[in-house]
Amino acid sequence: MKRIKNIITVLFVSIGLFSCSDSYLDVNEDPNNPTEVGAELMLPVAQVYSANTQFANRYTNTLGNMLMYNWSQSDGFSWYYDEFEYQVNATFYDRIFDYSYGNTLKQYQALANLEGAENANYVAIAEIMKAFHMQILVDAYGDVPYSEALQRGDNPTPGYDDAETIYDDLIVKLTNAIAMINNADETAVIPGEDDIMFGGNMTSWKQFANTVKLRILVRQSGMASKQAYITTEMNAIMNEGSGFITNNVAVNPGYLNEEGKQSPFYAAYGLTVAGETQNNGQATCASDYVVQKLINFNDPRIDRLYTLPVEPLTIGHVGIPQGVLNYPADDSWEPEHVSLLGPGVLSSPQQDATIFTLDEALFLQAEAAQRNLMTGDAQSLYESAITASFNFLGAGDASAYYSQSIENVGWNASSDKIEAIITQKWIALNGTNGFESWIEYNRTGFPSDVPVSMLATTPDRPVRLAYPNSEVTSNSGNLPNQPDVFNTKIFWAN
Amino acid sequence: MKTKFSGILTLFLAFVVQLSFAQEKQISGTISDENGLPLPGVNVIVKGTTNGTQTDFDGNYSITANQGDVLSYSFVGYATKEMTVGASNTMSFAMDPDVQAIDEVVITALGIKREKKEIAYQAEAIESEKLSTVNPTTAAQGLVGKISGLQINVQDNGVNPSSQILLRGLRSIGQNNSALIVIDGSRATQGAFDDLNPNDIENINVLKGSTAAALYGSDAANGALIVTTKRGKENSKFTVGVRSTTTFTQVAYMPDFQTEYGTGWQGDYDPIENTNWGPRFDGVPRQVGPTFDDGTYQTLPYAPVDDNLLNFYQTGVNLQNNVYFTGGGKNSSFYMSLGHQDTEGIIKNDDYERTTVRVNASQRLGNLELSLNSSFFRDNTNVVGSTIGSQDRPLYWFVLNTPANIPLENYQDWRNDLYASPDGYFNGYYQNPYWAIDTNRNTDRTNRLNGNIQASWDVADWLNITGRFSLNRATGTGKNWRAEQNYTGAYTRPDAVSSFVTDSEFQSTIYTSDLLATGNFTLFEDFSLKTILGATSYNQRYRQSSITANNLSILGFYDISNGTGELQGTVDEQEKRTYGFFADVTLGYRDFIYLNASGRQDYTSTLNPDDNSYFYPAIGLSFVVSEAFPSIKEGPIDLLKISANNSTVYNDLPIYQINERYAQSGSFPFGTINGFFAPGTFVDPDIKKEKINSTEINLNLSMFTGRLTLDGSYAKTMITDNIVNTTPSVASGGTNFLTNIGELENNAFDFTLAGDILRSDNGLNWNSALTFSSAETTVNKIGNGVTSVNLGSNIYAIEGEVFPQIQATSYVRDPQGRIVVDATNGRPLIGDLKPLGKTTPDYVIGWTNSLSYKGFNLSGTLDYRTGHVYYSQLADAMEFTGRSVESVSTNRQDFVMPNSVINVGTAENPQYVANNNIPVTGGRQSYWTDTYNDIKENYVRDATAVKLREIALSYDLPSKLIENLKLSKVSIGVVGRNLITWLPEENRFSDPEFNNTNSNAIGTGGYFQSPPTRSYGFNVNIEF
Repeated sequence: MKRIKNIITVLFVSIGLFSCSDSYLDVNEDPNNPTEVGAELMLPVAQVYSANTQFANRYTNTLGNMLMYNWSQSDGFSWYYDEFEYQVNATFYDRIFDYSYGNTLKQYQALANLEGAENANYVAIAEIMKAFHMQILVDAYGDVPYSEALQRGDNPTPGYDDAETIYDDLIVKLTNAIAMINNADETAVIPGEDDIMFGGNMTSWKQFANTVKLRILVRQSGMASKQAYITTEMNAIMNEGSGFITNNVAVNPGYLNEEGKQSPFYAAYGLTVAGETQNNGQATCASDYVVQKLINFNDPRIDRLYTLPVEPLTIGHVGIPQGVLNYPADDSWEPEHVSLLGPGVLSSPQQDATIFTLDEALFLQAEAAQRNLMTGDAQSLYESAITASFNFLGAGDASAYYSQSIENVGWNASSDKIEAIITQKWIALNGTNGFESWIEYNRTGFPSDVPVSMLATTPDRPVRLAYPNSEVTSNSGNLPNQPDVFNTKIFWAN
Repeated sequence: MKTKFSGILTLFLAFVVQLSFAQEKQISGTISDENGLPLPGVNVIVKGTTNGTQTDFDGNYSITANQGDVLSYSFVGYATKEMTVGASNTMSFAMDPDVQAIDEVVITALGIKREKKEIAYQAEAIESEKLSTVNPTTAAQGLVGKISGLQINVQDNGVNPSSQILLRGLRSIGQNNSALIVIDGSRATQGAFDDLNPNDIENINVLKGSTAAALYGSDAANGALIVTTKRGKENSKFTVGVRSTTTFTQVAYMPDFQTEYGTGWQGDYDPIENTNWGPRFDGVPRQVGPTFDDGTYQTLPYAPVDDNLLNFYQTGVNLQNNVYFTGGGKNSSFYMSLGHQDTEGIIKNDDYERTTVRVNASQRLGNLELSLNSSFFRDNTNVVGSTIGSQDRPLYWFVLNTPANIPLENYQDWRNDLYASPDGYFNGYYQNPYWAIDTNRNTDRTNRLNGNIQASWDVADWLNITGRFSLNRATGTGKNWRAEQNYTGAYTRPDAVSSFVTDSEFQSTIYTSDLLATGNFTLFEDFSLKTILGATSYNQRYRQSSITANNLSILGFYDISNGTGELQGTVDEQEKRTYGFFADVTLGYRDFIYLNASGRQDYTSTLNPDDNSYFYPAIGLSFVVSEAFPSIKEGPIDLLKISANNSTVYNDLPIYQINERYAQSGSFPFGTINGFFAPGTFVDPDIKKEKINSTEINLNLSMFTGRLTLDGSYAKTMITDNIVNTTPSVASGGTNFLTNIGELENNAFDFTLAGDILRSDNGLNWNSALTFSSAETTVNKIGNGVTSVNLGSNIYAIEGEVFPQIQATSYVRDPQGRIVVDATNGRPLIGDLKPLGKTTPDYVIGWTNSLSYKGFNLSGTLDYRTGHVYYSQLADAMEFTGRSVESVSTNRQDFVMPNSVINVGTAENPQYVANNNIPVTGGRQSYWTDTYNDIKENYVRDATAVKLREIALSYDLPSKLIENLKLSKVSIGVVGRNLITWLPEENRFSDPEFNNTNSNAIGTGGYFQSPPTRSYGFNVNIEF
């Protein structure tokens, strides 16, 4: 029996050796990743995501430039046949939906969730940017998750909200965000260089909020049912007093010529860090229609939007129709013989990622004035918008251009002022925000003569995107039926 | 930890000292089996008295007796032996197997030996000869088809292939499903298993279900492979052996390609195309590649080149040399080996070299036995980069993107031959794969030290205490580099390739320690009781770091100092700890009913501290019918046993996942601006352990004095509270939701039928064994509103479907199953994602035969898997390149889709009418590249395969002949692996067993692996 006692002692002693359990098991804290970070470390990431949503390869800018016939495909590449065939299905540009929610909005929501008076400015910025991105999603998809979205584990399968209801709420959210900035107390931290859009200038943020409101309201300006609402909200913007943006709104954390740190548009189409051309830049060229249009308009911006062919130097700009299957046997449409993306839009690895151009803000104001939604001289706003575009692209003085007596160029020469505004906006946004041109085309039908791809089987381009496969597989209980992407227009176009 | 263990050891020593003062004169000794392994449970009786005992787990016994007494040693399956007590106090010997052998000893969890009749679960062992019939380089390859319930997926054919080891299919959506590996009693890893020299393995006992392994706690859910390495025999002569194997590896088959059309696009010839959409071959000489600045160009006949891609691959050579020393003294034994493997792959310059050293030794000091099992492993891998070139594609992709009329092997000399050089290579879109091989390398060196020390102390004849400590440490360094490629030509070239070098290091350390006390009791006359009490701990640490320099300055110099711009680096550190206590009781009634119950309480570091422990109960009942009713044995039946068991085990969380964690965003920092992104995975605050409950029933039958055996099982496992990274709607603001969900049901049926069909001492022997394994896991419920979980690429867990399941874009079909086409262009509509089949087989059948006659032995293993599908990325890729057989099935003409309909109604109210006249447009190319290629259903293929896995013929020289040469054994042989593979017609691409990852996302493969291979060679084994 003595032995048994000894054995039992051994066992208990050895068990005892293990049983400093609490500290022994306390090794579950990740040494590589923090569980909490401050607002100043989250904001620049969110803003970089905002830039990527527009400018990374095949995000909104590429989509819009393709659908609006700004860009085409040079010989030797089979880059854009899905676009040329309008293959708008659940995989077509699904990254716009997936990246917007899964990265961009997720990051802004993490900021918006911060509590405490010291974070008031950051929360306001997050709400403004959420509204900015939600409008893009509504414009592309119609009904999308909104009121139940971004709640993470609390609602892994958010329901879909009515597009128009979302629009109305975005105005409310933007109003609240401006109020939040105005009401921020002295403990509220004002962002510094971590705000890679405005450097912490909160007035600029209020102006930007007003400009996003303007875009939302003008988009609905054709809806008879909303005229009174729009007028009220426009008046509210005017009464608020900060006005609209006065400069291009750009993201730039200090992009540089390093792997992974180039400005996203340049990373997609420009030279590699080592200075070599990329096929993506070689494959993407001007369309025949846009070249002809700019030539017809005597538009000096053509040399900023597109390069001249390398050889022969004498032939001038060359664009290619969309959807060519058999390229000329003489190789005359190979990259060196056609117009590629020009220095006005593709300039350097450090270039700004301009997510809202001043010219667009002015065109929106011109339209609002023209429609009597706000006071202002539509013509002068229109001409300042063209000037802003010339400035943005580095095309010199604009006055000679807009003084021409050409329909949709000169104000007085234009029979339909709205058509002139939208047509000029299409040119101004070429290469920078093609998506907005496509949305405005869906709303107004301008430019009225923009052709469809040679491979189109429908009379016109799609008016919206299909819901992505990620929602088909992960949110089927809430997902609406896939819409007819050619005929079911977003609510503001009806 | 170190001080704790030295404390335990001190305690041990204290008891040793105490014991050595035992005063009574006793006869003691060790009884071993025919292989020199200790034999527990041998009945030792002083003849003519009731004085008796049993040997303990290490075969040791001690009994009081007088000189002249006769001791009788008996054990089921062995011939009873009688010895007269002489002057010596020790009597040790090996028992001889009874030719009537019907029972055996199995090594169960924690190294505990048990008689097969008393275990209530299914276990199946494989001995070294059967494992290394064809001298595989890893043990996993040698297991294929030989054990029922075990599915080994050999996932690639690189110089050091990886395998997935599954027992009875899958049980978890998100967690590890691979079988637990135990080496010499200590919990190990698959890495350690793969690094073992197969020649050092004595046997592997496969514990198929979770009950068998329940004593291992959370790792038990997937069953276990209990690996025992070779050790010497006590009192055996010193033997030196040499075993040498040389094998050659060749591509077994390439995909079926079309050979009617060559280089071009949209029907036109194009000299720089990677695709085969040109005109029909006409044999006329045409320009290939670009026109150079001086106006010249390469010209080749426009005709298909036979085996133009096959010739890219070379014959690989694999040399394995092993030297081993074994022997034993009175109280000691040892086994030492030195192994070396040198492999040249089928891809030029791919090399793998490894060296293994093993030292196993044991020493008995009275009642204490100390043993050491240790191994050292080092390897050196040098292979072409996994992804290379401007598009980061695997090498095979470059090969596949070579049109049918290009003789690829002519482009080897890329440094000197203009036509093979970066500026002159024909392909305008992809780099020359020969350039890639020479300048894009992944290299690494790994060292692994595995040490396992054990002290086993027989405190009394009925009590043993064993302590075991093991260290498993792996370290490695790696260097991967890519060369730049730029162009001077003004014509279309691929994207430039930028250079980089990545330097990395890792270290992984696992300590495990076990302490167990086992007691054997005889209660009354008919009852026996075996008990185990134990404690265990596990500590795993991992650290990995890497640093990358980009855009190197000096050509061909691969060092971090050669980079320009900012360096990029990462460090990853992990640590996990668990500990647990367990008890196991087996109560036997006579020798036919055994009731087993066990329990284990575990504590883990990875769960919420408030709920981080769990209890695993297991219970089993074994009923040996043939012993209960001995009359049965009068017929052909020797043994009939039925058993049943039930166990519950739990899985904990992977390391650190309990918390949502931020991470530095990809491109940050920008100067002084740093940035972290919110986690894409959100974690259920109430996340808890995953529960796995399994019930197994077994039948073991032995007939005709053991010449025919049948061991079969049916097991049903219910898995609840699955820990899964579910895929929520991305609109929820994340890409993963880590939570407990749903219910999975796994049903498994497996049996092994083996027979000595012919048996004669020196004549013809024929042994045949058939293994049948079927396992299927169904997702009964997911929950949380989620109905599917994406595991990566096309692989999903879908509610109501078998898991894993392929889901891909499909054809749109009307209610009659006809394909709906677009009324304008006649092309099929591209449908939503649809479940398209499971990726685990209905069943796997393995058939092993061994024929011997005098010194000759012919053996082979065949395996057959069917009832599953896989996603052929290769077929998908070949469609775009126009090399698929499908792409010429309509002669590159427009055609009316057979059995198709158009919708003349609306989307909401469809009305389908047959389409007899609207042809598919773009039959020349666009239909194939833009529509057919987008309907991924086209690439879901039958994964059925029959493989002749192994075949070997060997000859043992007669002992008379070699005795004169002072040799004890000379064996020579020829071996072959995967010599023949039969695949169904629709899978003409690659081996469906290949898989891109070693995760649960089974069923996607193709071009990340090289073409399938077969190998053959010869071996020699000599013992002195």
